[in-house]
Amino acid sequence: MKARHLVWIRRVTQSLFLGLFLLLLAESRLPQDVYLDYARAFSGEADLRLEAPVTFFFRMDPLVALTTLLSGGPLIKGFLWAAGVLALTILMGRVFCGFICPFGSLHHAAGWIKPSLKGERMLAANRKTPSQRIKYFLLFGFLVSAIIGLNLAGLLDPIAFLFRSIALAVVPAAGNGLRSVFEAMAASDYKIIQLLSYGGEVLVAPVFGYNPQAYQTGGFIGLLFLVVLFLNRIRPRFWCRVLCPLGALLGICSRFTLLRLEKDVEKCSSCNLCTKHCQGAASPKPDAAWETSECHMCFNCFNVCPEDALAFRFRRAPALNRGPDIGRRALLGGLLAGVSLPLFGRLDGRVDKVEDPRLIRPPGALAEVDFLEVCQRCGLCMKVCPTNVINPTLAEAGMSGFWTPRLIMTQGYCEYTCTLCGSVCPTGAIRPISANEKTGRPIKIGSAFLDRGRCLPWSGNAPCIVCQEHCPTSPKAIYLKTERVPRPDGREIIVQLPYVDLKLCVGCGICEYKCPVQGLPAIRTISAGETRSPRNQILL
Amino acid sequence: MNFNCPMTRRQSLKKILQLSGGAALAGFTGAPAFSSASSPSTADRKFLIEAVGRTEGYPVKELVRQTFDAAGGIGRFVPKASVVAVKPNLSWARAPQFAATTHPEVLKALVELCQEAGAKEVRIVDHTIHDARQCFALSGAGMVAKETGADLVFPRSTLMRDMKIGGSRLDSWAVFTPVLEADVLINLPIAKHHSLSTLTLGMKNWIGAVGGSRWSLHQDIHQTIVDLAQFFKPTVTLIDAVRIMTANGPSGGSTADVETKNTLILSNDPVAADAVGAALFGRKPEEIGFIRLAQKQGLGTYDLAKLDQKKVSV
Repeated sequence: MKARHLVWIRRVTQSLFLGLFLLLLAESRLPQDVYLDYARAFSGEADLRLEAPVTFFFRMDPLVALTTLLSGGPLIKGFLWAAGVLALTILMGRVFCGFICPFGSLHHAAGWIKPSLKGERMLAANRKTPSQRIKYFLLFGFLVSAIIGLNLAGLLDPIAFLFRSIALAVVPAAGNGLRSVFEAMAASDYKIIQLLSYGGEVLVAPVFGYNPQAYQTGGFIGLLFLVVLFLNRIRPRFWCRVLCPLGALLGICSRFTLLRLEKDVEKCSSCNLCTKHCQGAASPKPDAAWETSECHMCFNCFNVCPEDALAFRFRRAPALNRGPDIGRRALLGGLLAGVSLPLFGRLDGRVDKVEDPRLIRPPGALAEVDFLEVCQRCGLCMKVCPTNVINPTLAEAGMSGFWTPRLIMTQGYCEYTCTLCGSVCPTGAIRPISANEKTGRPIKIGSAFLDRGRCLPWSGNAPCIVCQEHCPTSPKAIYLKTERVPRPDGREIIVQLPYVDLKLCVGCGICEYKCPVQGLPAIRTISAGETRSPRNQILL
Repeated sequence: MNFNCPMTRRQSLKKILQLSGGAALAGFTGAPAFSSASSPSTADRKFLIEAVGRTEGYPVKELVRQTFDAAGGIGRFVPKASVVAVKPNLSWARAPQFAATTHPEVLKALVELCQEAGAKEVRIVDHTIHDARQCFALSGAGMVAKETGADLVFPRSTLMRDMKIGGSRLDSWAVFTPVLEADVLINLPIAKHHSLSTLTLGMKNWIGAVGGSRWSLHQDIHQTIVDLAQFFKPTVTLIDAVRIMTANGPSGGSTADVETKNTLILSNDPVAADAVGAALFGRKPEEIGFIRLAQKQGLGTYDLAKLDQKKVSV
């Protein structure tokens, strides 16, 4: 096959996989089909499920699979895809990085559309540097940490990083911007502009939704994403070369690759074009040894070489490929970091001493220790949540739980029969529960408590039954008693006072979300009573 | 104009093409923006139809048709080529058997009757409390829209407009505009229990036609209901009491709270319709704050002797 064809096949494949990633990301939402057969609704068989395989990229991510298995997580059938990617890497090198990885493609595109460096400077930037060992350090840190019981891989796993950045920062930011444009247009006095606004909103709604989205730390996630993209101007595919722990894992696995770069020193005219176009800083020039583990298999060098001095060929190995340049410091440093992170991370006591009342996990979430072993912090549950209640944590889950999911009831509520978050979780940190299990067992995520000083009827300010009205359980966990209470002016009024029955409350938080006392509601949900924790209980 | 959503990509492209072509014309078609949805028939003498399905497995559509026939036929209220807005109660993401939302078969029958009467467009409008997509799916309204071709309007902030309500408690409030931008407005509530206003019937259904901070309406629920009822003047009110929720309202969630009544109530007097609805729960109209207040403010009467009463059974 000609090199030119290979490079074009690569570009098309990259575009297809990046497109597929974005498509699946957009599909990670409440099903758009409102045309549900109501005969099914009648029988209560209408569990919400997504048709699109939204976890596909997580399933084929060997780092997700490996860290999940190392930390004692379940063997998920979908991990076969990851095993396939590993097998592919062993046979053909890091083709995942060059052909499939959507984050890699994004970096590649960023460098390709507008290269920042020219001539000698590009040549210098594409020479292999010791900083490329950092990714091995990170990989060992994550692997050892996973064995000890804290899964941090998702913080820098490229699939999780990209999903989190786009789903929790780029899409909501763009959507909120568009929405303000549409609202300004809808407020216009000209009918035509109003109609355009309605039509435009309908067009973009499948991706951006109709309601404003907010995610705790979303701004930070977005900034980090921009910084990582900007790094491509310092060195092409900086992320892939220096930071990506998945790249490091695949680099180690490519040791035995049968697809090799063969160099012909005689033909080389030292034009350096190969190095200038190298994506991985993998020393393609014939006067140096090929860095197998750094090569992204982009075939650029093969394509640009004017002398045909370079060629990729399948060869049964007479000798091993050059080993990955890991370095002892990266190895030892990674081990040390991997041991210390989980242990230091527990020092805030969030795992085994204190229950943070704000840490309300999604329904079906595993017990905290198990949860931190498998959660990838990818944001899929947050993207898919129809009420926008699931948010990345900041400090609520302690240092080791940064960016894990948490429900913020002032932003949304847990819909009584919805089980979408569990149905999409790629590693089972949130179990796939059914609506019947959720409401029947029931699965509690917390408990609601009244703040009588703030409550409108309790403080004699006004009649109100909003919390009771919204309470979804039957019988209702919030019940009313009619009483006389003094008003602020001293006269008595007859109002219905709300009470919470803790036995019935599931902690869904709709009372807190709908409470008219804005800011700090008069009824609030805390994690106490959650089914997943035997210790965090109130009632016998 | 079709505000209908969610829709397929193909539909939305078509819509945009129509929009870009139609936008130029829209200014000249003379469709009055925010016209009050009253029609001449409301000025007619007040009537009250009570229809009961007595046989096992009676056809719901037939019951709806005969109810309207007793009032002079659907064509009396729905002129040819008119735009009809139907306002069911779809507030909660609950399956139909819990009686928290308008029965999908009644909704379907009404939409079909309007279409048979020659309506140009039938629109299903409700500003739901739970996520609208789930409400539409679980209540069966989405399926009805699909089967009948009615527009199911997705409630959103761009469709809310502050308007002069002119009530004694609400001076102005955000109104869900597709409710008003129609020639005919039919109120299609479900009769059910409500923990604050005692019952929710026709007049209370208008809380689902406004936006804004609706939770604060509860602080003076009866007056705000009446304020909204004098603002939204439906052509007729059809109360769905095929099954009613007798406790744990308005959201319910247990079939133990549901009673089958197989009844429909049709009237062009919103107060009378609610009064008959209250009777299904064994309540006198004067016991219900908003019904008493509405009569006092002249929205209608619960003195049923003043109305043309008819009974229908199928």
